Amino acid sequence: MSDLELEGRLAHVTGAASGIGWAIAQRLAAGGARVAISDMDEAGAKARAAELGEGHFGVGCDVRSMDQVTAAIAATTDALGGLDLFVNNAGVEIGKPMVETEEEEFMTLVDINVTGVFRCSKAAVPALAAAAASGRDAAIVNIASVAGVGGCPLLSAYCASKAAVIRFSEVCAIELRDAGIRVNAVCPAFIDTPMVQRLAPAVAAMTGMEFGDVVAVKQGRYGTLEEVAEVVAFLGSDEAAWTTGSHYVLDGGISGGLL
Amino acid sequence: MAGKLEGKIAVLTGAAQGIGLAVATRYAAEGATVVLSDIDGDAVQAAAEGIGGSASAITADVTSEEQVAALIAEVVAQHGGLDIAVANAGVATVQPAVGMSLADWRKVTSVNLDGVFLTLTHAAGAMAASGGGALVTIASVTAQAGSPLISSYAAAKAGAVNLTRTIAIEMREHGVRANAICPGFIDTELVKPHKKTFADALGLEAMGIPDFDAFIAMKQGRYGTEAEVAALATFLASDRAGFCTAGEYNLDGGLRASLL
Repeated sequence: MSDLELEGRLAHVTGAASGIGWAIAQRLAAGGARVAISDMDEAGAKARAAELGEGHFGVGCDVRSMDQVTAAIAATTDALGGLDLFVNNAGVEIGKPMVETEEEEFMTLVDINVTGVFRCSKAAVPALAAAAASGRDAAIVNIASVAGVGGCPLLSAYCASKAAVIRFSEVCAIELRDAGIRVNAVCPAFIDTPMVQRLAPAVAAMTGMEFGDVVAVKQGRYGTLEEVAEVVAFLGSDEAAWTTGSHYVLDGGISGGLL
Repeated sequence: MAGKLEGKIAVLTGAAQGIGLAVATRYAAEGATVVLSDIDGDAVQAAAEGIGGSASAITADVTSEEQVAALIAEVVAQHGGLDIAVANAGVATVQPAVGMSLADWRKVTSVNLDGVFLTLTHAAGAMAASGGGALVTIASVTAQAGSPLISSYAAAKAGAVNLTRTIAIEMREHGVRANAICPGFIDTELVKPHKKTFADALGLEAMGIPDFDAFIAMKQGRYGTEAEVAALATFLASDRAGFCTAGEYNLDGGLRASLL
């Protein structure tokens, strides 16, 4: 078996100038895919694409704008010559008690984490369906979170948004099955990212435990960006050709246990 | 190109045919040394010879603690350790829950739940002694929802999933990961003889659906293949899935995702 299980695939990853998105873009490229990197940070997206080398593509995109999403996907299909794997990764968090969360910031989070996934998925379907119609495996992978599987204090908007992404993925999977497009979600637990480190002091204050201790007890250790990218690479490959409507956790067991 | 399971020692129950044999075949292709186990000694010997290379066979009945303990001990003695165990052995009967005898119930649960317990507990102990490993339970999406005519099968699979999760948490600090795979309907020998019975019980005719195969096409696109289960079982057993534990991984063409 070759390590290049994604040879020839044409992929787009949103929010990919840094963090999990960048790790996914690197992994897909290492697996043989040509990758379009989009991000609100247009310069960052283009620099990352250049870092991946020839054949890859960077484009600015704010997933809150249908026009920008449509344009970024059109630019991707032009640059890559098609699209058969779309990774909805762009997302943000709010880490504060529900009663202290402002309506506007809640709505902004939903606009990015949920409606952004809807906008990108809807805009990507024609190109993905065309790929499927020509006999290729076509897939959408949505980066959700174990926060969409269980409640986590201080993450009311984030948890609600990720639960919505999981259920949205299920409906897309059913509706798009006949078009040959698979749709799945990936649910990481706490990964050692800036997003998680921003959250750590508030969680520690609320639980009375050091955040590192909570992580060690509940999920063994931090997950890594690379481990998230591996699950995305698996679901985005034709190894998972019959997997659709599922959400795959990688969480060191945090969502699998009761206590 | 190196395989994804290069140098790993794997044992698989119920490996003489079907999904178990498909997983064993894929594991061997990925560089693992595979020990196939089955209650049918002649068939499992032939299956191992069919794979060739370093593949070998050991006869064992997963409902016997003595035989499962001996199986795991023999694998460790022959190969110096154990990295991967696949609890796959399973049986099914098709009949309504109401009116089922306890003996019929236990015919299924003794293999599909007790057998998984024995396989996981003995394998996990051996893995912990050699620094860790990966347990893979072949469960079913029937573990997650009411499943008419296969109550004992579905209940045992639900128990097996939960047991897998619990062992994952108990054994995390020993480096043992444990995950369950929940396939939808695969066109195996467990399914083939019962299509008409299922079609009648589900009232397909009244819904204008001609037969069970057509129903499957609607609900999960198509039948899955044993090779597709093997691909997922390879991912979960490999170091690529190092942060995956206590999870339940569906592979069902969207069957479980839909309410309708």
